[in-house]
Amino acid sequence: MTMAATNKHSLAAESIFRRNVRNFLSSKLSVFFLSIMIGFMLMAVFAPWIAPHDPNKPDLFRRLMPPVWLEGGDWYFPLGCDALGRDILSRIIYGSRISIFIGVVVILIATTIGVLAGLAAGYLRGWLDASFSRLVDILLGFPYLIFAIALIAMTGPGLHNIILAMVYREWVMPFRVVRGETLATSGSEYIEAAKAIGASRKNIMLREILPNILSPVLVVSTVRMAHVIILEASLSFLGLGVQPPTASWGSMVADGRSFMLGEWWLATFPGIAILLLVLSINVVSQGLRDAFDPRFHD
Amino acid sequence: MSFGSFIERLAHLLPVLFGISVIVFVMTLLTPGDPVQIMLGDQHVTDELEQALRRDMGLDLPPQERFLKFLGNAIQGNFGLSFYHRQPVVDVIASRLPATIELSLVALLFALAVAIPLGVFAAVKKNSILDRIATVTSLFGVSLPGFWFGILLILFFAVNLRWLPVSGRAGFTSEVEPITHLLLLDSLLRGRLDAFWDALRHIILPAITLGLPVASILMRVTRASMLDVLDRDYITFAQAKGLTKTQVLFKHALKNALIPTVTVAALQTGALLGGNMVVETVFGWPGLGRLVVESIFVRNYPLIQAAVMLYAFTYVTLNFIADILYTILNPKVRL
Amino acid sequence: MNFTRNIMVLGIALALTAPGVPQASELRVGFSADALTLDPANHRNRETETIIRNMFDGIVTRDADMNVVSQLAESWTAIDPTTYEFKLRSGITFHNGSAMTADDIKFSIDRLTQENAMGGQTSPRQSLLGPVSGVEVIDDLTFRILLASPWPILPAMLPFQEMVSKAHVEAVGDAAMADSVNGTGPFKLVEWRKGQSVIMERYDGYYGGSTDIEPVGNACVERAIFQVIPENASRVAALLAGEVHIIDKLPSHMIAQVEANPDTKVMAVNGTRTTFMAMNNQSGPFSDIRVRHAMAHALDRQLIVDKILNGNASLTNGILSPDAFGKNENLPAYEYDVAKAKALLTEAGYPDGIDVTLDVDGANKEIAEAIAAVAAEAGFRIGVVVGEASTLSSRFRTKGEPIDGQMWLTSWGNGSLDPVGIFVPTHRSNDRGNSSGYANPELDALLDAANIETDRAKRAKLYSDAEAIVNRDLPKIYLWVAQGLKGVSTKEAGWRPSSDRRINLHDACVN
Repeated sequence: MTMAATNKHSLAAESIFRRNVRNFLSSKLSVFFLSIMIGFMLMAVFAPWIAPHDPNKPDLFRRLMPPVWLEGGDWYFPLGCDALGRDILSRIIYGSRISIFIGVVVILIATTIGVLAGLAAGYLRGWLDASFSRLVDILLGFPYLIFAIALIAMTGPGLHNIILAMVYREWVMPFRVVRGETLATSGSEYIEAAKAIGASRKNIMLREILPNILSPVLVVSTVRMAHVIILEASLSFLGLGVQPPTASWGSMVADGRSFMLGEWWLATFPGIAILLLVLSINVVSQGLRDAFDPRFHD
Repeated sequence: MSFGSFIERLAHLLPVLFGISVIVFVMTLLTPGDPVQIMLGDQHVTDELEQALRRDMGLDLPPQERFLKFLGNAIQGNFGLSFYHRQPVVDVIASRLPATIELSLVALLFALAVAIPLGVFAAVKKNSILDRIATVTSLFGVSLPGFWFGILLILFFAVNLRWLPVSGRAGFTSEVEPITHLLLLDSLLRGRLDAFWDALRHIILPAITLGLPVASILMRVTRASMLDVLDRDYITFAQAKGLTKTQVLFKHALKNALIPTVTVAALQTGALLGGNMVVETVFGWPGLGRLVVESIFVRNYPLIQAAVMLYAFTYVTLNFIADILYTILNPKVRL
Repeated sequence: MNFTRNIMVLGIALALTAPGVPQASELRVGFSADALTLDPANHRNRETETIIRNMFDGIVTRDADMNVVSQLAESWTAIDPTTYEFKLRSGITFHNGSAMTADDIKFSIDRLTQENAMGGQTSPRQSLLGPVSGVEVIDDLTFRILLASPWPILPAMLPFQEMVSKAHVEAVGDAAMADSVNGTGPFKLVEWRKGQSVIMERYDGYYGGSTDIEPVGNACVERAIFQVIPENASRVAALLAGEVHIIDKLPSHMIAQVEANPDTKVMAVNGTRTTFMAMNNQSGPFSDIRVRHAMAHALDRQLIVDKILNGNASLTNGILSPDAFGKNENLPAYEYDVAKAKALLTEAGYPDGIDVTLDVDGANKEIAEAIAAVAAEAGFRIGVVVGEASTLSSRFRTKGEPIDGQMWLTSWGNGSLDPVGIFVPTHRSNDRGNSSGYANPELDALLDAANIETDRAKRAKLYSDAEAIVNRDLPKIYLWVAQGLKGVSTKEAGWRPSSDRRINLHDACVN
């Protein structure tokens, strides 16, 4: 195949991408929830300017203050205060940073590892594929919580260890998707042609196969990001979450759960925040899948 | 599938199981925390007692010996004595297994009952308002932290409305002789409707909490595969033959669309059968998940090892079955 | 429409069919944990003992005010420092009707104290009987407990043990003792639903119980059930919904709700567990006594107790709880004084304050954060680090290893209310609970002497002097002894909580 032909192929891929994006944007639902997602991200970026108070400043005399519309509430602390008298609204605003940070970082690292491993396994095959597959089976067969607790017990608490505890499982999904796609496409014509003109294996993997797997990887990643944010809440439930005084939505819900009967605002508002963000991510990812899947088009 | 490849697939399971047993054993070595000290707690302790307990627990042997002993016994199905319960680990786990199995099955049934109609509906009415609503509603399931939702359910249905009990698996007014140890089944088999109703009331809330995320996943899979099937040539052919839409739907499309749903459901069952510590703690459900996590926190090594091997075996077996299922069912799809 | 109507019908049907309200004369306890085993000798777990204690009686027991009183034995005397003679009551029977004799006592104690006596295993409760070397049976109702060395606290430690039937153990075997119950207690076992509940019913052949605790006779209720509800909110919810009559471990922030509910009330009792912050005396900033004193002055303990614990705790300036034997009532308190704290810090070389780490487990996280909040004013910038209890234990309490950490917020229980169970392990050089690395030969000598002192007054004085020493040296910041909080239904009468967190249901009635 000539250079011109290869170029035309990439151009065709590009316009398909653009058309898919337009499909996505035409769904009002997807756009609505995408704007919620962007809203949260802006909240995270501009937290120091938006938040009315220092999220980590305790005051035992404001302990468990109810939201403003209940008796004992105060406009100064509209959503009330937590068990140590810290402003819940500010903690939710700053907490978006942690939750989004954890979600993005875990998925970024996991996806990178998964994509590279998947490419290698799917294209190079042989013993590499076999060992990766065994490793994946072992990792998936091992109950997640037990490993997470043991890992954090061994390495100590802290944000980076929580991220590690989540990455170790999350790379498997993108790995499988990429491996499957690579296996499917590596027999196709333009790959054969590229090999014929002497392109290196690395070049083939990165420049021919990679662009084609971006769509499914993107969809999978957004789904998993939502899952990771929920997972952080579950780890906090076990006492393995982020360290105090840092506010993450997950640890706020976990800390507030024994107050649910009386001071429900401690767990409910961060719970709603998690629900909104994760729901948005899920709807957007559903929309992406609908928009990018060629089977749904004429 | 040929017999040879069947055996080959089977043979792949063994190194996985071995790998997992090594990992969990190494974990027990590397994780800080001394089970003897944890067990003895605060009160009077003498050195002699500490040594005696260490001997009882087999912790005085060097690691290699312990591992080999563990493997040798495990193959025979003996996982030793639980440090804390001081009874055979197998008995302790077996006593909690029926509760987990029952809850998982009911949660799965709930998930299927919700997901399949919703998924089919959403696919048939694709891109309509109803599709959007169904999609967003189904996504709620994977957007909620389980323990938060569970406590909310308790607050609403148990404390406020007093319709349902707060926790536990069964009340105390109806005793039923166990056959399968699955309360719902046993009470039906013995013709005890009062006991069945009692067990049902207790299982509803935890099953919903547990099953909602599963329902979300299954709904999306059903929708996607239904859309895929409806697009196929043989559907257009059936319509051309003059069959009504409903006939087409139920006679041809549904059967084939459900194959991925069933496959994913089988895999989800594996995760469910591990027990869910969060749901079990919130609802006081006497299952395996809570037992295992408690065991980790007190470094109850024999129980942790046995539980890990059990999960691994279940996961590997279910994967195997799903693979086989898919290969057998696949030819039908190609029609 | 049809759909809505069906839902309503379903809802009404659900509501009408027995909303789990307990039957008449059935008492339910919402309990935070399950029993590990029902064999009184084969565990080392407080919740397990609480449940077992309703089905098995002991030689002696404690009343609700923590006095040691008679139970199976009606009287006892110390013949000499190493021999105690007990007289059993007559007419005591096991649940299967067989009579209890001194042989059963001997069998039970041998089973507890001898190595490998339980089917090849040693009882984890062995060390709770200290130097007990054996039992001598004099006649059917008389026996002597023999000690290898003088042990004045034998009566205080005996309530921790329950007696089993020799014939029964020999018939079913040690392994089966985990679920097979044949005790002398007011209740017998109906069913143990593992992980969920322990169902008991009244034993109508009960000998009556301790004559020192009214009322004497059979248990008040026909059925008693311990229902396992580990999650705090769920347990309180069960109480508020009327599903259980008593709950343990009521979190202090839920007191208002339980009090506000017309059908429930809160019962509080003095605790036996001392909460403190162990500081690393061996290395780091807290090896300097001035820094330790500064820390004490930097804390407004009463504020934290008032705000976080709802006032339900007594401050303590030493390691012993206010009800403990030998408590020194005149220990000076380190008053909350920010200026003094700052001055001490400056003197110690930290004019701009100091950054320290406070390790804590998940359960006490809130208190640690409150401490950090309060101490910040005096210049202590405390970083709270939440870890797992077992990991922290091995970092701070491994014998022979240097302490890995600066401060640890933790506690130590003392169910016998005798200093030997708390003072020695936490403060004696190199002892298993000494998480501060404190080593003071003068203190060690006092504690060792008190171990074998038989004169009560002299022994109390030794412990008081010892407390004065640790109050001065302050290896730990002694915080408070939290009260035990129980939620109780107004339908229940007759039961009182006790400081050792036991829940003895013999006197509890339900109307």
